Amino acid sequence: MKIKKTKGEQVFDVFNVILMAIVAAVMILPMLHVLSVSLSEGSESIKGGFFFYPHGFNLKGYETVFKDPLLIRSYGNTILYVIGNTVLTLFFTALTAYPLSIPGFRLKIPVTVFLTITMFISGGTIPTYMLMRNMGLINSVWVMMLPFCVGAYNVILFRTFFTGIPAALREAAIIDGASEVTVLFRIIFPLSKAIFATIGLFTLVAKWNDWFSALIYLNRETMYPLQMILRKILFNTDQAMKNLDPVTRQMFSGNEVTAQNVKMAAIIITTLPILCVYPFIQKYFVKGVFVGTIKG
Amino acid sequence: MVKNPAASATGAQKLTRVQKFFKDCRLQHQLILMVIPGIVLVFIFNYIPMYGALMAFQEYSPTKGIWGSEWVGLKYFAMFFQSPYSGRLIKNTLLLGIYNLLWSFPAPIILALFLDQLPFMRYKKFVQTVSYFPHFISAVVIVGMVKEFCAIDGVFNAIRVMLGGEAVSFMTGPQYFRTIFIASGIWQGIGWGTIIYLAALSNVDPQLHEAATIDGASRFQRVRYITWPTIVPTTSIMLIFAVSGILGSDYQKVLLMYSEATYETADIIGTYVYREGIEGGRYEYTTAIGLMMNLVSCVLLVIANQISRTLSENSLW
Repeated sequence: MKIKKTKGEQVFDVFNVILMAIVAAVMILPMLHVLSVSLSEGSESIKGGFFFYPHGFNLKGYETVFKDPLLIRSYGNTILYVIGNTVLTLFFTALTAYPLSIPGFRLKIPVTVFLTITMFISGGTIPTYMLMRNMGLINSVWVMMLPFCVGAYNVILFRTFFTGIPAALREAAIIDGASEVTVLFRIIFPLSKAIFATIGLFTLVAKWNDWFSALIYLNRETMYPLQMILRKILFNTDQAMKNLDPVTRQMFSGNEVTAQNVKMAAIIITTLPILCVYPFIQKYFVKGVFVGTIKG
Repeated sequence: MVKNPAASATGAQKLTRVQKFFKDCRLQHQLILMVIPGIVLVFIFNYIPMYGALMAFQEYSPTKGIWGSEWVGLKYFAMFFQSPYSGRLIKNTLLLGIYNLLWSFPAPIILALFLDQLPFMRYKKFVQTVSYFPHFISAVVIVGMVKEFCAIDGVFNAIRVMLGGEAVSFMTGPQYFRTIFIASGIWQGIGWGTIIYLAALSNVDPQLHEAATIDGASRFQRVRYITWPTIVPTTSIMLIFAVSGILGSDYQKVLLMYSEATYETADIIGTYVYREGIEGGRYEYTTAIGLMMNLVSCVLLVIANQISRTLSENSLW
């Protein structure tokens, strides 16, 4: 049934719709500005203020970024780290979570306690760093893929999902002589695409954005992931240029491409892949899979 | 223990609990093999550093290891409190954490309540989708954008100048650091934070609202007496975590954002540990500081949980 709204409520609705439009705009505008500056003419890009659209058109910023061999290399490194980390995370987490979803599993409680403790207590940054050093993982690709790939939180999400699969499926297969491994790979995994996709996408995004582990565990530039190179481009280059007063900077404005172009272009090419996977991640929380697993 | 007469009657072996446990384990050896890689990984990467943290009480020698190094008690803990920086570090860490809690915690709840009141479903979905996006942007990009917007010729200064003010160097002014850090954090996290509250809100029975409306409840009254009570349990749990996380401000983001010019307000315990420990090699000293932080966070968690349990009957355990 429909109940008529009072005048006050209608006013509130209008106010609310406008307020939410402002919120949405605030979320989008910064990225729009970055994109616009990256595409603007060099002389325009350093004028400051907000860019709703590119002033002129210029792809030189992107050209400069793609000419940087270190950046191309770091793109490759990041893809390797992201794929490696995501595959290892999904495989070992699912493998650990499956037995915990079986009611009669004798080690269920000790294993759960063992994992849960790590949610509250950690050794801290320095002892973890020392461990990696002692294991010879500094400057190794493994340090970007293997550590912490099994985390208590993800195990719980997987276990909750597996628990929702009817136990009769497993029991029937076991009676027919299937081993647990067969059950896991032939029955459970094919039914769990949603949780694999969800955790996989989140792991992927987290690793794509990770720069800190590279900062402490890698010290060869050729091994750096994209975020580290981006950090260099954004914060280190042309520091001197940034400090110049606007008048002096005008003298540089004849250049076709400016530091500003390059920086904003670098932001765009780093964030673009995330923008591309975003609709897929989105699909999962729209479906409520993600929320459902959280609540469980 | 009650003996099982059926078992002895059939002549089966009488098993003690321990024997039964091992028998089950033999039967479940495939399942046990499956958890072993995970256990080993967690043991190596989570538990060994906990053991390694013992070096906070030692004059650590890498050749002798934790087992053979000399114990020095609380020397390094005392060293921290005697350090000229400890006062500033503790103050900065606490203030950043507390201000962050005060601003960042309520923000998603308020947004969720407004979103929930939106009359058009598709519009609501659109705003949600857009507001989630910043959550997926990397800290490097966020701080890069913050520096762009807060620059002398950036957007914020353009607005200031337009309103008749003077351009200010936001990134080098210690008085601006907390505001910039927290505001950018809210921009990034507010949308994502609404998910859990909107999930709780979606459980409200629409009939409750209809009944209340017929009884003459205003919209504000319905929010106050129907909507709000449904998210109180979620809010309590989230608040417990938020309170225990007061000391755990995102030091990686601070590391990207601060400079020597802003140490006065920006240098927090996490960044100090990074500088002294990883860059400076003072391992025992910084491990001791980290250990204290961990301990205080655990205490805060217990206290927050206890308070929540007394006041609202919502608790983690």
